[in-house]
Amino acid sequence: MISLLEIYHKMNKDAQMRAAINQKLIETGERERLKELLRAKLIECGWKDQLKAHCKEVIKEKGLEHVTVDDLVAEITPKGRALVPDSVKKELLQRIRTFLAQHASL
Amino acid sequence: MKMEEMSLSGLDNNKLEAIAQEIYADLVEDSCLGFCFEVHRAVKCGYFFLDDTDPDSMKDFEIVDQPGLDIFGQVFNQWKSKECVCPNCSRSIAASRFAPHLEKCLGMGRNSSRIANRRIANSNNMNKSESDQEDNDDINDNDWSYGSEKKAKKRKSDKNPNSPRRSKSLKHKNGELSNSDPFKYSNSTGISYETLGPEELRSLLTTQCGVISEHTKKMCTRSLRCPQHTDEQRRTVRIYFLGPSAVLPEVDSALDTDSFDMADSQALLSRLQWDGSSDLSPSDSGSSKTSDNQGWGLGSSSSESRKAKKKKPHLGLAGATSSLATGKKKRPKPPAPPTPSIYDDIN
Repeated sequence: MISLLEIYHKMNKDAQMRAAINQKLIETGERERLKELLRAKLIECGWKDQLKAHCKEVIKEKGLEHVTVDDLVAEITPKGRALVPDSVKKELLQRIRTFLAQHASL
Repeated sequence: MKMEEMSLSGLDNNKLEAIAQEIYADLVEDSCLGFCFEVHRAVKCGYFFLDDTDPDSMKDFEIVDQPGLDIFGQVFNQWKSKECVCPNCSRSIAASRFAPHLEKCLGMGRNSSRIANRRIANSNNMNKSESDQEDNDDINDNDWSYGSEKKAKKRKSDKNPNSPRRSKSLKHKNGELSNSDPFKYSNSTGISYETLGPEELRSLLTTQCGVISEHTKKMCTRSLRCPQHTDEQRRTVRIYFLGPSAVLPEVDSALDTDSFDMADSQALLSRLQWDGSSDLSPSDSGSSKTSDNQGWGLGSSSSESRKAKKKKPHLGLAGATSSLATGKKKRPKPPAPPTPSIYDDIN
């Protein structure tokens, strides 16, 4: 009983922490910057073009009239996640880590 | 907030890493979502497939990735033939020679006074070539397209035994044309092959490149490995000349070189669609073709060439060397000596 409560407590704490970090990310504008960076990098490395090609296949398959956002998200997101190049991923993670380190040491 | 920040500092690295990954995944998902919205909007508005063309034209404009070709599939070594028009003298000049030309033409370099003199001379006589004889830089310059022709003609016309100035003196002085051959050989732009007998041709083709230029209609006189022409071109020239003449024995040519030469060269001329072939008729030997630019060496009085040929057969294939020797003997010929020495230096 006690342990369960502890776990619950801990989870709660974790969620709180996450919320706090996200809050910080948005407040400082870092999230926006990271998004912009990622967008630029993904266009630069051709991720967008690859994904677009994939999109075309999907859309042709389904027919132009029957495309929904949900369909697209379901089809595209896994592919999009997989197609992100390692270098971009590394760079982004590095920036997130430094952000965390800065704000964790407060 | 304060408490949470305090707890943040208490996190271990594993948790931080996990959070970082989470944030990253979040961001990527965001991007994907944004992309999906974009695509969806494009589809619904009907502009998603606009940038597509039919596969045929896509194939037409495919990027070529082959060694030696640019992305359009063209040979990119064409800069060699690129020409610029000089704004000053409005000659067209090979791009690689344009800068040096401009320097001279505009009179910026050390040659400026010479050029100025030349320009004055040019204004006096438009027919005279504007090229500079003393200009060693230009003498060996085959990049001149339009200029080289002009220059070649002028240079040759200087040595042309048929030229108005020295046709008489030449005829008096030497019975043979062969003495002028060495100069012709050493001429870097080429010689006109119609003046040559079969022996001369053969000896030339065994020692020199001999490819006939499209522009000047002259044979290249550089070495057998001259970089301007390909082996293939050399081979075709040899087939042209030596193919038919190789069948003819040398004795034959000794007996009746003239008729053979005429027939042969005329056949060649018609084959190559050259003009000025009629100049070769023996009856013309008396009247020298002084004004004819193209026919400077064409049978430049065929009487001379006939003598040369009649003499030649005895010498056989050693014609080139022997003609050189005779050339040495005759070199005292007044106008020629300065030029050949220059050419020899260059070559």
